[in-house]
Amino acid sequence: MQEVWHWLPAIYLFLGGLGAGSFLVAAAVELTGERYKHEFCPTTLVGSTIAGPVVAVGALLLIVDLGAGVREPWRIFYMFTKFSSVMTWGIWILSLFIPIAFLYGFLELMEVYPDVWKKIAGKLGILKNLPLRRVKRFSVVAGSMLAVGTGIYTGVLISAIGPAMPLWSADLWPGLPVPMMPILFLVSAVSTGMGLTIDLSATIALPEVQRRFDGLPIIHMAAIGLEAILVGLLLYSANSLGGAGAASADIMVTGHMRAAFWIGFVAIGLVFPFVVHAYAIGAGSHSPISGIGSGVGIVVAGLFLRYIILASGMPPVL
Amino acid sequence: MRLTNMDKARDPKLLPTDGSGTGVSRRTFLKAGLTGGFLAAVGASRLSPSQASAKAKYAMIIDTTQCTGCGACQDACNLRNDLPEGISYIRFCGKGEDEKAQCLPVQCQHCANAPCETVCPTGATYRTKDGVVLVNDKLCVGCRYCEVACPYQARRFDHERGVVDKCWLCLDYVLGGGEPACVHACLQGARLFGQLDNPDSQVARLVASGKAKQLHPEFGTHPAVLYYVMA
Repeated sequence: MQEVWHWLPAIYLFLGGLGAGSFLVAAAVELTGERYKHEFCPTTLVGSTIAGPVVAVGALLLIVDLGAGVREPWRIFYMFTKFSSVMTWGIWILSLFIPIAFLYGFLELMEVYPDVWKKIAGKLGILKNLPLRRVKRFSVVAGSMLAVGTGIYTGVLISAIGPAMPLWSADLWPGLPVPMMPILFLVSAVSTGMGLTIDLSATIALPEVQRRFDGLPIIHMAAIGLEAILVGLLLYSANSLGGAGAASADIMVTGHMRAAFWIGFVAIGLVFPFVVHAYAIGAGSHSPISGIGSGVGIVVAGLFLRYIILASGMPPVL
Repeated sequence: MRLTNMDKARDPKLLPTDGSGTGVSRRTFLKAGLTGGFLAAVGASRLSPSQASAKAKYAMIIDTTQCTGCGACQDACNLRNDLPEGISYIRFCGKGEDEKAQCLPVQCQHCANAPCETVCPTGATYRTKDGVVLVNDKLCVGCRYCEVACPYQARRFDHERGVVDKCWLCLDYVLGGGEPACVHACLQGARLFGQLDNPDSQVARLVASGKAKQLHPEFGTHPAVLYYVMA
């Protein structure tokens, strides 16, 4: 069992993914033009406004978790300077992503509440001629790239560790030199983002949103299915390494983490939302309860996934 | 307040870095970013083990056939570094897969290709020109990334100061012509310390004979601490 990085790192890896995923879902709805087919689009509103704060809270937790960084905060700036460290890349990506995500959220709010914008622009003359849509589009495109970077980064952070944690550096397939974690965490980021911005918020705000996008349950089921396949491959890949890698896979499936894995992740985060979405296809719509239930399930399972993977890390026996 | 490694290591000028301290330069990073894109960089970041590293000047060889596991080295180290209760730079592992090995004291292996140095986001962990891996605790933010990245689990987190700490090869003694406290304290003489650039030294001869082996060479870390195991 890995005991250096506990719940707190799991929470900020999760928040990084959730914020990035929410941004990507909102951006997809924006860039496909779907956003403008309706007067009100809760998916973009929630996705764009929540991405910045969620990732910022994650970054704040990361700072709080630093031993000396809290006591002597100027040391945090050293973290921008060491480019051979994956963590330095992450600090850069987060520093760029957070303000752009806040900008997108602000511009989306201004689009929803044009009166507020008029007031602000009235007071600050320079903003009068600002092409709101175009600036927003820029923030969406630049932010999307950084959101993908953020989602991947949370996985690269632990996969770059190498021989010290065979589970974390496990390959997508035994022998294939593609690390699993960046892919798994990015897929999970998008999945949790969909859970939050579509299932949860859209269902609360506007039940018929689910009916607007015909293919949505299918896309969601595909994301859940992909996540299930990736976790299955992770277990296979780690197990095939033998030693500490196999021991980690055992911890997840039959050991200390088995309850968290089977209930917290598989049942709540994969099986339940999958079944609910399949049912929604049949019924033609989500009920608010099933939408909220699957949304909460997916988001909670995203946190469990990070925690299970961190806690199941086993260093090699010397 | 107890002295820190850097306080003890005194004059940083005595401990020049080998110039490859940052591993990948900014220019290389930007180039990689532009040409290969982020994903390519992700692949390249996976512990590039082929980084050119300065050759270690010192070597410590632990004779596992002589070590009885008495713990004298650990006591001497704890005392010498004034370590708090429950923290030690040296730990004793089981004999692993090697049936003949009696005991395996493990501490920082002072790797030529040190994962801790690669992952450290501030450059607090660095490798001197002589191949000794040190922590500059004025730069350490306490993210503990190095601690999880060390395959030998040789790093300790000092909760009191919020920084990571580890064996520093008693570099003050060594630079003064002496040897690390653990070597000095070993009752069985199971610890050998010397300079590799002197071909007549006992460690250089053992290394040349191939009898001194790396602990888990498959990690690709190229440690300066080696183990003598009966053939």
